[in-house]
Amino acid sequence: MESARLTIGSVGAGGDGVVVLGTFLQKIAASQGYYSVMPRYYGAQIRGGGSAVKLCLDSEQVLVPNDILDILVCFDWEKYLEFETELMLTEETIVIYEYSPQINLTLPPTSFQIDFSTRSEAATGSTKDKNLVALGLLAKIVGLPEEHISKSIKDDSEFKLLKDKITALRAGEQLYSELLIPELGLLKPRDDSAKIILHGNTATARAAIQAGCKSFFGYPITPAAEIMQEMQEELSQERGIFLQAEDEIASAGMVLGASMVGVKAMTSTSGPGFDLMTEMMGLASSAEIPMVIVDVQRCGPSTGIPSKSEQSDLNHAVYGGHGDAPRIVMAPYSVEGCYRLMIESLNVAYHFQTAVVLLSDQWLGQTFVAIDDKFLQEEYPILETIRPDDTTQGEYYRYRLTEDSISPMAAVGDEGLTHQTTGLAHHTNGTPAFDFETNQIMHQKRWQKLMPLCKRDDLVKVFGKEDSIKGIITWGSSGQVVLEVIRDLDLTEQVEVCIPELLHPLPDKLERFVRSMSKLLIIEMNYTGQFHHLLRSNLDLPKSTKVYARAGGRPFSKQELTNLIIELVQ
Amino acid sequence: MLPDLEIPNHRALIVSGIGCSSRIPGYIDTYGINSLHGRAIVIAQGAKLTRPELTVIAIGGDGDLFSIGAGHLPHAVRRNTDITCIMVNNFVYALTKGQVSPTTPHLRRGEGDFLSLKFYPPVDPILDMVSYSFSTQASFIAQGIATDVPHLEWLIRQGISHVGFSYISVLTPCVTFNPPELISTIQTNACYLQEGEPVKLPASSTEEPWIHDPRNMDMALRLAQVPLLEEPLVGIFFRGVVK
Repeated sequence: MESARLTIGSVGAGGDGVVVLGTFLQKIAASQGYYSVMPRYYGAQIRGGGSAVKLCLDSEQVLVPNDILDILVCFDWEKYLEFETELMLTEETIVIYEYSPQINLTLPPTSFQIDFSTRSEAATGSTKDKNLVALGLLAKIVGLPEEHISKSIKDDSEFKLLKDKITALRAGEQLYSELLIPELGLLKPRDDSAKIILHGNTATARAAIQAGCKSFFGYPITPAAEIMQEMQEELSQERGIFLQAEDEIASAGMVLGASMVGVKAMTSTSGPGFDLMTEMMGLASSAEIPMVIVDVQRCGPSTGIPSKSEQSDLNHAVYGGHGDAPRIVMAPYSVEGCYRLMIESLNVAYHFQTAVVLLSDQWLGQTFVAIDDKFLQEEYPILETIRPDDTTQGEYYRYRLTEDSISPMAAVGDEGLTHQTTGLAHHTNGTPAFDFETNQIMHQKRWQKLMPLCKRDDLVKVFGKEDSIKGIITWGSSGQVVLEVIRDLDLTEQVEVCIPELLHPLPDKLERFVRSMSKLLIIEMNYTGQFHHLLRSNLDLPKSTKVYARAGGRPFSKQELTNLIIELVQ
Repeated sequence: MLPDLEIPNHRALIVSGIGCSSRIPGYIDTYGINSLHGRAIVIAQGAKLTRPELTVIAIGGDGDLFSIGAGHLPHAVRRNTDITCIMVNNFVYALTKGQVSPTTPHLRRGEGDFLSLKFYPPVDPILDMVSYSFSTQASFIAQGIATDVPHLEWLIRQGISHVGFSYISVLTPCVTFNPPELISTIQTNACYLQEGEPVKLPASSTEEPWIHDPRNMDMALRLAQVPLLEEPLVGIFFRGVVK
């Protein structure tokens, strides 16, 4: 029987090659037009721990994988236990495994023990290619045409490994004809144009380049390091400046230095590094120097769980640091959003001359998705800093009070515009001020200039039937699960979902959404319900507002949110 | 200073940290920022790396560059970024009224004059800034005295002209929190290093004086180990060859 979606899990110890297996299968399917999402699960160890992937292939669209597997390939049952909740089985799941489980586990009737290692050795002379044997078998079960696979392998250099080990793949395909595996298979993709595979971190880096970012300063940290690596590639060979700084304080400081001389710059980090950037963020806000920080959130506090997702840096992004330091906080909920909002972040940072925090998270950042590449081809407007015009020569006031509170900013090197700037309270000419009146006026200026952002309706996404009175507000990657559950339950006519991408300052459209609701559910992945608190301190929420907030460490499952949403509708 | 080097004002950026010395950019008509405590050197690097044609100077005090911001210095040095770092060393935290700094002379409690007037002496050894810069191999290392303006001016000009990271330590009085003997001792005992001339060594030294050659890293290292209060050496300690 063919279905629109198949969810395939694979788990093993380090060296079993499950990530390679998942990656190849995702690539082959994407080259035939299939959409997919593939989270990886791994322990904190770089080597030796267990690792797993969950590849969810879909003929139309997929945001999050199904909870339950259609197929599991297991090389190591002990490691399976580590990821049991991510790789759930039912009676219908097809389980393919190498060794009998030594653990207390009843396998479904459709389970098959296969001597992958022996098959691999017979095919290539090495037991290590068992993942490729499994790949051949899986491709058959899923129903990916053999000739198409051969063509993909021939055309794409990324398949080189597979090309060299083609006998292993063939051995897997051969296995399929020997076994009586139930027929699964995917419907034809909506269109057969090849889908691109990338994750949020790559999308973020590519967008930064697109938006004219010419310098990157960073420090390695999980799960943001891929942004830094990608930027190193992009900015190499004199296309820009890349520097791995000695720490996150330095990274943030260098961003300010670059902005002062008129060069677009950014940094990326995760929770602990973001903490270190806090003081610099205050300077950016006070001295009105553009700065973009991408925070790929992980579980906190402190070191937390570095490799797992959470949405718990919101408070820090919005309120972090001493004094009243306005900044802009945005959060994408999809890989496409990582791209679009990274461009937006650089735009607003350099237009409004302030600090911008882009809150991505581990799920968005590191989950490989196969999607349409249309968003990469689109034209995005690029904003530049407003510079002083010729009339300001000789009487330049760096912090001149203007109608929109944005003061034209001279870049170091501009003739006739030398001036001082500082994190001290300052006069319009940038010299230190120590009086209440000036302090008050400058606060007003810095907050006022951001107000036009509240009118950016395009930065608040609303889904479902308009004039519904039952609504869900969620943000970041949690939005994906909510949207999928609403679709699965066929509730798009009854529930409106609001996913604000601009979180601070609070957009007017979000306020209108809240006002139109009589029943509201807020869903987010942090222990204290940080976004709920932000909303509650700014808006009147309906009395019946419910909040679902829990710590990170495991992605939201669809099952987990289903009952909550059904309850909302009743 | 800058006109002599044919650098127009608008082509220069002075980045300071926080402290008494960090008000300096406010008195000079170039681009300037009075930034965060300890961080002048990183902002300066961000500016210089992205616009190498500009002249970038980082200024801070002993607390600024050697305590809170000390972690940045070796990295600026190893990158050999072409900025000039001026450390104004007044041996004390003066803006906060006289606490000990990493360079406050180290003596036993209650002994000697060269202490912060108000607080107990530090119990940890001082960080000697010149030796430290050697250990990280800055490519230009010099020391001047704030009260000898023509010589200091010359040093700073040499530092700015040097291609690579230049570090200039400036021995400075704090008229409020140093005992006056500190700077007067430094002034009296100051010994000027001159290329091609014999080096004057302190009385306690058993070594034979040698001819000063700022290209010689080994000898420069030995100069850096001369105790500051016994014989303050001023001048260019080391100037790496520009490759």
